[in-house]
Amino acid sequence: MEALLLYSAFNGLIVGIFYALMALGLSLILGLNGVINFAHGTFMALGGYVAFTIEPYVGFWGSLVVAPLLCVILGVAVERILIRPLYGRDPLFSLLLTFGLAMIMEDLIRTIWGSIGQPFALPNYLNTPLSNSLFFLTGYRVVLILITALVTGALFAVLRFSRIGIRIRAGNADLETISAMGVNIFFLRAANFGIGIFLAGVAGILAAGQLGLSPSIGSQLIMPSFVAIIVGGVGSLLGSVLGGLIIGIASGITAAFFPVAQEVVIYVIMAVVLVARPRGLFGQEGLFE
Amino acid sequence: MSSSIETKPQAARHASTNGRVAASVIIWVALLFVPFWLPMVGGYTDLASRALIYAIAASGLNLVLGYTGGLSFGHAAYFGLGAYGAGLCLIYIAPSLPLAILAGTVLGGIAGILVGPMAMKRKGIYFAMITIAFGQMFYFIAVRWNGLTGGEDGLTGFSRVPLHIGAQTIPLGADRFYYVVLALFAVVMAVIWQILRSPLGHSFVAVRENTTRLRFLGVAVDKQIWVAFAISTFITALAGALNAMLTGFASPDDLGWQLSGSFVVICVLGGMRSFWGPFLGAIIYIVAQDYLSSITQNWMSFIGLIFVLAVLFFPQGLLGFIKARTRS
Amino acid sequence: MNLLKLDNVGRRFGALQALKGISLSVEKGELRAIIGPNGAGKTTLFNLISGFFPPTDGSITFDGQPIVSVSPNALVKRGIIRTFQITQVFLSLSVYENLRVAVETAMGLQLSPWISRAKRAEVEAKVEELAQITRIAPKMNRIVGEMSHGDQRVVEVGIALSRHPKLLLLDEPTAGMGDEETNHMTDLIRWLNKEQGITILFVEHDMAIVFGIADKITVLDNGTMLAEGTAAEISENPRVQSAYLGNALEENAA
Repeated sequence: MEALLLYSAFNGLIVGIFYALMALGLSLILGLNGVINFAHGTFMALGGYVAFTIEPYVGFWGSLVVAPLLCVILGVAVERILIRPLYGRDPLFSLLLTFGLAMIMEDLIRTIWGSIGQPFALPNYLNTPLSNSLFFLTGYRVVLILITALVTGALFAVLRFSRIGIRIRAGNADLETISAMGVNIFFLRAANFGIGIFLAGVAGILAAGQLGLSPSIGSQLIMPSFVAIIVGGVGSLLGSVLGGLIIGIASGITAAFFPVAQEVVIYVIMAVVLVARPRGLFGQEGLFE
Repeated sequence: MSSSIETKPQAARHASTNGRVAASVIIWVALLFVPFWLPMVGGYTDLASRALIYAIAASGLNLVLGYTGGLSFGHAAYFGLGAYGAGLCLIYIAPSLPLAILAGTVLGGIAGILVGPMAMKRKGIYFAMITIAFGQMFYFIAVRWNGLTGGEDGLTGFSRVPLHIGAQTIPLGADRFYYVVLALFAVVMAVIWQILRSPLGHSFVAVRENTTRLRFLGVAVDKQIWVAFAISTFITALAGALNAMLTGFASPDDLGWQLSGSFVVICVLGGMRSFWGPFLGAIIYIVAQDYLSSITQNWMSFIGLIFVLAVLFFPQGLLGFIKARTRS
Repeated sequence: MNLLKLDNVGRRFGALQALKGISLSVEKGELRAIIGPNGAGKTTLFNLISGFFPPTDGSITFDGQPIVSVSPNALVKRGIIRTFQITQVFLSLSVYENLRVAVETAMGLQLSPWISRAKRAEVEAKVEELAQITRIAPKMNRIVGEMSHGDQRVVEVGIALSRHPKLLLLDEPTAGMGDEETNHMTDLIRWLNKEQGITILFVEHDMAIVFGIADKITVLDNGTMLAEGTAAEISENPRVQSAYLGNALEENAA
């Protein structure tokens, strides 16, 4: 019983990591760009598929670096060409545009890579369990946790200490003022969008190694990421991360004991949070609204 | 309207009113004779039924989206619940078409009444996010509750039953069913028309325009949004129930995010600020979808492209565009 | 008899003390101006009285009832109506539609999906009346968002009047207006106060207006109350002169 609980909670944590990485990128883009990037999920899927294609040439570690950067290039192009004209307009339009983008990208992924799921090959040394008693703890899962911690830590460090990070945070608080102070907010928003997409790309490759690849993996993972943001607290990046982990673990545990409700439980948690604590677990009152 | 406060020249007013009445008459006459003329131009009656069903769904959504200004991106949930409710009623309760349609409408509407207050805890873009997420919740309930809903394969095992009026049994072929849909479409449009010219409808528009002002006029804004959302979900659920009767099938895709987005794009395409906008949008969308899915496997890409192009080049929609043209 | 009474009211935002120790009482039928330099806390004071947010210290009573942490819409029902520094109207609607929705909600009809002939006639009559009072009637079918700033402010006052306020809070009613518009607004304020008996509190930067029409003036500075009195008392108050009026008068002269 306890072993099962531990095992399922850990499984959930792993999935929660993907939710958290996705939610983190979505939150960043929501904050500064004021856009719900519904195509975030398909950028993530694209990361996984690109890695799948280039892995034979550059290896797993190489693909982990190259694939997200390719996603960023596409993401920044999308931001410049399609999303930039929509800043300052009703958020309906940017959301609708990214909806359409998600449909196009998912369809293209299906056309290029096929609609059947693809296994993502991992180096052998990552696939073996590390110990017999904790059989579910493979090298890959440890790597996954470490990479996520590293990426998240690096992001928070960038936001706190780098010039661009400080500007992104200031822009979150008051975009007009920093624009008046002479900061190029178009560049800032593009950079911020790129960072968000980078996180999606990383999540895509890590998820591919864990869950395999299918064209709809993006739209499957983006919905819980929305919930992660609501549960964690709008406007709180750390809240998004923790929200993602919490719903991941809850979903993992439910999967072990009441499998049919493993997805629904995520939305039930959202409903409970909205009723009991509308600002989210770690959100501040009145922020971004 | 009392004439003393009208300053627009009466003649101009009458001209624009006359134009609008003429347009309405043309639309209704055309709709009434669809089974006669549509096959001549290469269409089929079920296509028109589908367009009207989508027009009902989108007109319902537009009450929230266009008139109240709430970004509901999860309305397929209520469409799908309407479809499942109707199908389940036929299978488990009674083989009655009116009862099935009523059951679907009520199921979706009640879900809307319950979801509304939770989604309204957040405004604007976050309201959109929550409505999407709740839509996904209903999707997973349908997919996972295998025994009841047929899971991923969808709900089958029911069909469009004949209509019983008194002792009469009327089998519903494509044409007759079209007239059932048309009758309900007329009822829905009449209801929406009445709401929009009532104080309730005026308050919806006021919510869209300025919630601060309205709150400082003593109006509980959240209650207005809730009412708009609830009415809207009932209407969209009715469309879902009709769709299940049209296809004899309720699919998890009826609850999916793509369909939610499609309803929004239908409103935008036709014109969110116009009474007939969602109707026109639905015709454009259904015809485009029918055509694209017959010529290419990648029709999803093209539908997505319609989204992108509508946003970038046509944000006021067809009717908004025409209005702007005629005013200048 | 006083209509509004603030007792030692303060408001803090985190580390910032926006208002401190404000005690004032407004008599029924009074026309009171609130003046003070930018950042003195005038709008914060309005926000406290209208229930936008509650004070962190002190108590507010209106019509003999405590109103701290009563919601804005409940306060509206008790008779406190306000306008905003940034005009709050329904921009893409016509003047007529703006006034109509205000009248309908004032009549409690906002949940009615239909309206009787008699009620509709009543609404029309009230809309007409508001349009006449505010002299906006000739522009009834104009879209408010396409009108001048001054006209928009007049519409906002018209909307506010639909609720038959006991206490009307006007936040910079003449800001950004031309001379003619300013005169019109000043006349309107005076008329509402003297003829309709509405108690009015207004924030204003134009000293000519303040000294011209206000019965009493409250001077705020840096979140505290600097002085209170009639126009004559205020203009002679040395603290006011040194802290605020001196500069303002110089600006006016220049």
